[in-house]
Amino acid sequence: MTTAAVTLEQGLAQLASIAGAEHTRIFGETIRVAPADAGQIARILTFANENSLAVTPTVSNTKLSWGNPVAPDILINLERMNAVREHSWQDMTCTVEAGCTWDKLQSTLAQHRQMIALDPLWPERSTVGGIVATNDSGSLRLKYGSLRDLVLGVTVVLADGTIAKSGGKVVKNVAGYDLHKLMTGSFGTLGIITEINFRLHPCEETTRTWTVSAPAPAQLKEPLRTLLDSQLALSSVQIRATGDACWLDVRIVSRPESGPKNVSRLEKIFGNLPLSESGPAVWTARQQIFDTPVATVLKISSLPTEICALIAEQQQWAGAHGAEIAIAAQAPGLMSVALAPAPGVVPDLIGALRMRLRENGGSVVALQFPDSLRGRFDVWGCDSNALPLMREIKRRFDPNRILNPGRFVGDI
Amino acid sequence: MLSIRYSRCTVPVRNYIAELQNIVGDDGIITAANQLQTYECDGLTNFRVLPEAVVLPRTTQQVQDVVRVCARHKIPFVSRGAGTGLSGGALPAAGGIVISLARMNRILKVDIPNHLVVVEPGVINAHITQRVAAQGYFYAPDPSSQSVCTIGGNIAENAGGAHCLKYGFTVTHTLALEVVLPNGDLISLGSHAPDAPGYDLAGVFVGSEGTLGIATKIALRIVKRPEECQTLLAAFASPRLAGQTVSDIIAAGMLPAALEIMDTLAIEAAEAAVHAHYPMCGGLLLVELDGPAGEVDALMCEVRAFCAKNGASEIRVAQSESERALVWKGRKAAFAAMGRISPNYIVQDGVIPRTSLPDVLDEIERMATAVGLRVANVFHAGDGNLHPLVLYDRSIPGQEETALDLSYRILHLCVDRGGSITGEHGVGKEKQQALGYMFAEPDLDTMQRVRCAFDCDGLANPDKVFPRPRLCAEKPGPYVPHPLETAGIAEFF
Repeated sequence: MTTAAVTLEQGLAQLASIAGAEHTRIFGETIRVAPADAGQIARILTFANENSLAVTPTVSNTKLSWGNPVAPDILINLERMNAVREHSWQDMTCTVEAGCTWDKLQSTLAQHRQMIALDPLWPERSTVGGIVATNDSGSLRLKYGSLRDLVLGVTVVLADGTIAKSGGKVVKNVAGYDLHKLMTGSFGTLGIITEINFRLHPCEETTRTWTVSAPAPAQLKEPLRTLLDSQLALSSVQIRATGDACWLDVRIVSRPESGPKNVSRLEKIFGNLPLSESGPAVWTARQQIFDTPVATVLKISSLPTEICALIAEQQQWAGAHGAEIAIAAQAPGLMSVALAPAPGVVPDLIGALRMRLRENGGSVVALQFPDSLRGRFDVWGCDSNALPLMREIKRRFDPNRILNPGRFVGDI
Repeated sequence: MLSIRYSRCTVPVRNYIAELQNIVGDDGIITAANQLQTYECDGLTNFRVLPEAVVLPRTTQQVQDVVRVCARHKIPFVSRGAGTGLSGGALPAAGGIVISLARMNRILKVDIPNHLVVVEPGVINAHITQRVAAQGYFYAPDPSSQSVCTIGGNIAENAGGAHCLKYGFTVTHTLALEVVLPNGDLISLGSHAPDAPGYDLAGVFVGSEGTLGIATKIALRIVKRPEECQTLLAAFASPRLAGQTVSDIIAAGMLPAALEIMDTLAIEAAEAAVHAHYPMCGGLLLVELDGPAGEVDALMCEVRAFCAKNGASEIRVAQSESERALVWKGRKAAFAAMGRISPNYIVQDGVIPRTSLPDVLDEIERMATAVGLRVANVFHAGDGNLHPLVLYDRSIPGQEETALDLSYRILHLCVDRGGSITGEHGVGKEKQQALGYMFAEPDLDTMQRVRCAFDCDGLANPDKVFPRPRLCAEKPGPYVPHPLETAGIAEFF
């Protein structure tokens, strides 16, 4: 405990009285508590708020290392809040508790051939609340957008114990402020999300993936532009690269009889580059990057037209510094990069990339890196002139700074 | 209603008029009463307030300077685009000024390879599509007023339209905003590249109905026009049968570009106004499918089969682009067309889970009959967005009150069925009290925290959206359980 006001034992007794002794444990200097519902979370936060105790929500810890480190006094584990509350399949919406794993939710929805059109990291372990809080997204983003477009409403518990809802269960709704958009990607710094309503899409049942390989990313620049300008029913487009090779993968949704026509269109777009059909495994490229051992993993955001040049520059940089590099870039302009082993010059690369990307609104966030690099660069690199406003929002929601203090941009 | 007041201007009007004049010039300010009348209301004409002045800035700098004058003297301000809003969002504040963005109407950048445009707030919605059509692109949100309404207003209301079932709303297409905050500071929200680090304040700003500041530069996503687009009309004996067809289409896993239903009264009115050659029937269904050539044909066959199964008396696919345009003209003119069959009418904008459509229609019919009024219905059926049009005659004493009461009760019905009080028109002045029916106090208090962070003096479009004025100095109270939580009901909506 970082406060003199409460001893570890007093905190344990208090939280045990809320969530039950069997759901409350001490690990080192942290109390880990697994509440049953939003009401219990409200009481836990009220206690933490009154005693200025730092709180971090989690379940399976898949992204606990993202952002600046927090040493929480209380770790709220939402594993017991894991129910799919409702699947209104005819209305194409669902309501789910934050602690439900992504795979469990999707397999429930698949019973009616529906899905949330998002492919986040580690779906078998990651939970819905953490995916929303970190605004994770994968290759389906090209066609379906991000969580901003898929979350219809949330229930959230604020630092002072207020339980608030925003949005609703219907796809079209402009009543009141969209607090769920504020919560999405806020890394648990404004409140703890307990329940989420999503809009659903029909499962993509007839998709095929094609891959072209190219010796250098420059050769993919023009085909990529033409592909995105085409009228093909694209589901996902990504470029994968290592130090000296690259591939472009494209997934198309279409009726089986359109297959030959799509192939001839793709052949026209890619010209002499070799085109072949590939399996769904290529779409795990992004996750493989995050699973690279002892690597520094960057999330780079750019304009779509900058992707190929950015890949080439990083390949060159990796070559010059003897680093292994792996890249998976999604066509909307989001790139995951793994550098291993992480050499000491990584901070320089991050600085140079940020400088280069700033003009067009791009960014570099360092999501995973060895402890030896901690403190050598700003994890977020947020130089937005809206930072004072973001801090003011944090102050209005969490004046005592108990929720993931310091984890987010600008030490929020 | 509690009598808490926002801070209000205490300086005589003439003292600040000169300051405003210095900023925008003589031709950028309106103070004559007869000219001010143009601005006393928006598309919701039964609320009217004459502003003290209207300023028409031409640059972001002028907007900032005007807002700083407002901040210094605590003058409430309401920003305004084309004034086509239907919920009173652009209704002036008593004792305040209107900031019209109509003169900031330049398209600043068109970047086809990155699928984006950058515009000023006074640009008309349809002008964006006109600008990028030659390259095969379009701007997707298409409110019925798109030929006159402005992007600034679309941002404020998170405007939708018939095609948002497939293509999403204004917020889906908003990449970045430059915003003048109510203290005059200029900030950037979002970015042209995805996922700018930090809170998604652009996402929060869109749909905030002018209460968080003024957007002066807006980056929007444009979309490649699909290869093929087909529009089908099917005539059914009742809206219920048309609704069943919509359910069948959705259950088959299709995502049409648009799914619209009109009832007999709405068809009658649209026919009288624009002669769209609609078949007269109890429920007219309009289905638009788009996508790659070949795919659309196959899906349209399935749609025809569903229509036939549900007893459609006539099924017709528009054969030319002009025929398709006429079909849409009739639908988009439906609100205004009510003037042909009724002296006065109220447009409502409720949303329900799509599956409760038949029951809600029966209930609306029952409620209307009970008070002796007629209700015409136009819906975006795919997403459950109802536009009941309550017809009445103002010259009959008491009928306007009865009609208003009926329209609010219809909104309550939508909330009771798990829906919303507004799908695309906004809360504005009109539905403030209904927002209090939809959300509990803790929800509204939480929204107010956002409001206070942006606008601690409550000067931007005050006394709108929220059911009672709140002061930013009000401390959020101690924890009060959500009423439904206390009742043991997990689901509020």
